[in-house]
Amino acid sequence: MKQDATNIPQSLSNPSSLSRAARGQLARISQGRFLGNRKTRVALVILVPILLLTAFAPILPLQGPLETNLRAMMQPPSLEHPFGTDRMGRDILARTLSGVQISLLVGLSVAAIALVAGILLGTLAGFFGGIVDRTVMSIVDIFLAFPSLLLAIGLVAVMGTGVIPVIFAIALADVPRFIRLQRSLVLSLRSRAFIDAARTVSAPQGWLMRRHIVPNTVAPMLVAASIAAANAILVEASLSFLGLGIMPPTPSLGNIIRDGQTYLEQAWWISTLPGLVILAIAISFHFLSDGVREALDPRSRQ
Amino acid sequence: MTYQTEIAPPLLDVRDLCTEFGTDHGTVKAVNGVSFAINEGERVAIVGESGSGKSAMAMSILRLLAYPGRVTSGKVRLEGRDLCSLSERQLNSVRGREVGTVFQDPMSSLDPVMRISKQMIPPIMRSLRLSREKARAEAILWLDKVGIPDPERRLEAFPFEMSGGMRQRVMIAMALSCRPRLLIADEPTTALDVTIQAQIVEVMKTLTAETGTAMMFITHDLGLVARFADKVAVMYAGRIVEFGPVRDIFCAPAHPYTQSLLSTIPSTKALRHERLAQIPGMPPDMKSPPQGCAFRARCAAAVARCAQDAPELSPRGSGHIAACWQPKGLEGCKRTACESRPQHGGNRPPRERTMVEINRLTKHFSSPRLFSRGPAPVVRAVNGVTLRVQQGETLGIVGESGCGKSTVARLLLGLEQPTSGEIFIDGLAQMVFQDPSASFNPKMRIGAIIEEPLIVKSWGDKAARSARLRQLITQVGLEEAHLERYPSQLSGGQRQRVAVARALALDPSVIVADEPTSALDVSVRAQIINLLVDLKEELGIAFVFISHDLLTVRYIADRIAVMYLGEVVEYGPADQVFDQPAHPYTKALIEAVPLPDPVTEARRATRLLEGELPSPLNLPKGCAFASRCPIATDICRTEKPVLRHPMKTREAACHHVNSI
Repeated sequence: MKQDATNIPQSLSNPSSLSRAARGQLARISQGRFLGNRKTRVALVILVPILLLTAFAPILPLQGPLETNLRAMMQPPSLEHPFGTDRMGRDILARTLSGVQISLLVGLSVAAIALVAGILLGTLAGFFGGIVDRTVMSIVDIFLAFPSLLLAIGLVAVMGTGVIPVIFAIALADVPRFIRLQRSLVLSLRSRAFIDAARTVSAPQGWLMRRHIVPNTVAPMLVAASIAAANAILVEASLSFLGLGIMPPTPSLGNIIRDGQTYLEQAWWISTLPGLVILAIAISFHFLSDGVREALDPRSRQ
Repeated sequence: MTYQTEIAPPLLDVRDLCTEFGTDHGTVKAVNGVSFAINEGERVAIVGESGSGKSAMAMSILRLLAYPGRVTSGKVRLEGRDLCSLSERQLNSVRGREVGTVFQDPMSSLDPVMRISKQMIPPIMRSLRLSREKARAEAILWLDKVGIPDPERRLEAFPFEMSGGMRQRVMIAMALSCRPRLLIADEPTTALDVTIQAQIVEVMKTLTAETGTAMMFITHDLGLVARFADKVAVMYAGRIVEFGPVRDIFCAPAHPYTQSLLSTIPSTKALRHERLAQIPGMPPDMKSPPQGCAFRARCAAAVARCAQDAPELSPRGSGHIAACWQPKGLEGCKRTACESRPQHGGNRPPRERTMVEINRLTKHFSSPRLFSRGPAPVVRAVNGVTLRVQQGETLGIVGESGCGKSTVARLLLGLEQPTSGEIFIDGLAQMVFQDPSASFNPKMRIGAIIEEPLIVKSWGDKAARSARLRQLITQVGLEEAHLERYPSQLSGGQRQRVAVARALALDPSVIVADEPTSALDVSVRAQIINLLVDLKEELGIAFVFISHDLLTVRYIADRIAVMYLGEVVEYGPADQVFDQPAHPYTKALIEAVPLPDPVTEARRATRLLEGELPSPLNLPKGCAFASRCPIATDICRTEKPVLRHPMKTREAACHHVNSI
């Protein structure tokens, strides 16, 4: 980062200090600390090829994910069909890549929604306490009383199937956890001496939250968000597997596996290979969260 | 090195011990060739600042170093046996049985989920080969010896049921109950109050004398050393720079570091308003220790030779050795620019303008109970305090932890709302907090931290603010480049300077400093105290200085208020309060403070304060201090004394104030 004497007052008077804090965090991620981490590198070695393949799927010499080919049904993996074909002769790799696209969309959207809603509501509850805290936390407690998968199933049943309802269903189950986490972080920060120091000059409450509280919660919340993303990908797959998430013929990792499970003995590749892809993605996200944690941990900071 | 004059082999003989910590950012050479010996029954103090390697050295002896610490070379002989060559299993039988340990933090060194009996009896059974019943009797005996009331019942208590002082007593009882030949105590009283510290030190002193246990006592408190030790080893940058009998070290120190360290302590006798000596600079980074003498950068007597060769320990007297090329250390070189002692501006009479006025202030905290009926328990943290501070005056507030002194500070700053009473402040009050690492937002740069009050109060425009920033940072003795750093990149002393700069930003009329120096090392402490005194004189700010360090308060304060359980028990001019304390509590506090002078310490009759602070949940009806007071009579237990004027300038709340 460039450092010169004049940029301090400017950056201070910048009203978007929250985004500035976030940028600071991202800057630290981009510095060697994050990329130098072994777990991060393992995660990237897995994720980057998957992402590239997904992005370039349309121009790969593959058959479209919805295209059927009745002359090549239930083909084992080959050069032409690296992941084989299913009972309608659709290319499993093409379908898997298309499913990965949906998985990542779901995972990242859920993480983003949970992060924003969690930081907002958790900060308000933790900072103001009293009636605000009690109201928010009672609702949170009610949501936390449901198993998250069951909650998601119920919500999808109400809202209908498709990508957007699935995202909201999963996010709604995650948001209460994020509120809890943020609230506990805020509570431990609220009594710190630097908050007192700002209060002695009667800094307004909005200032305290924006400048002192939220920037210090971003790191642990980002870690939680990357775990939530992995979890959302698995939940989406579970919902689709149960026939509740993404509806066929739109491919999703969950419904591909569901299709293949009947033929597991004759055509193992239909379920197994997409299953391995889910596994790889989930593990990478968990590794990424470790990398984020180690990069942002103030104790390891120089 | 042949300084071993005794004929009998020493109990513990450490030779050329080296310890390293391998970190991501390089190898920290914490201990660099330390050699010394402890004889039977001898009490040796290891003194040094944080980072001098004193704890690492002690932990190396028993191989208790935490990863990534590692002993790289050297020999440790306990009664002729080389501990370094023992296996982990063999060493385990030495730990506890032959060498006992007491650590700094009494809160975390006992297992919180185990009763004391479970933690104490099995080691006794193992090391003394006793049956369970006998070991139990032994444990009770030791708890009694360390002064724990009702030891039979206490043996079955959990650690959380005991106060910090009690737990430290338990630790000592545990360590001594296995009859070790040597006791290693690593800052055993640092986390405790002065009165409790005095009790603990006395317990350790009598019990080690009784059992003939030798002792290695690690501390940074030179006063404690004078009270306690037979011999002293002064450590700097991983080496022993001076070793000798306690009187020689204090009366005729030979190493410049020892000499400077001793002169940084505010003395009781020295003229007030004489500036404290301060050691310039900071200890070297032990990742890349400098060539030659490690202290030379901060030493006024350094010569060319110091940069090339590190001096070895050489004899300076009987059993007294020091590592310095100069035969007499600093001698005569003291008066160079940075170490000279220009007089403070003298005792300027405080201007007749009251900056702070507190009238009958009370603060009660109550926590409603969930399951039981009846009134919620009320903690009476501040109980009717009346104080005044004039312009340019420093008021010192002293007292044990829990006496309400920090609550008074928070009330003054408006961080808490008083339950009743009034506070008037002429102008603005600002605060310097105790812990320089917690009082800054770690995600903000120093510049942003100091500028924050200005922005919040919309002070000036951008250019005016940045000019003010530069003025403030130089005013507290830092450089403009520091504005760009993050708090974690500064040392403790530098951070405390930043805290002062932040407090000064809005031109306050009062600065409240809550233990501003207690988290700092001795050599840095003097720098901060000098800075505060300079600012007070320069800017005419009124100071409220809250501390448990009585020597510092005496040095810096014009008037002193002694607090006990939320009340002011004595109030008056600093010198008078210290020289002729009127209240028995003040007297006990002053007696508990160890003085950095072994001769006075030996002569002092230490009448220790018994017991601990009663709970502020249910205050006694009469005098709050009656339960610990040596002169309490019936009237003290039934009737509450009020602040009276036994002398013209002073106030004290005691029924017997005239009889002392």
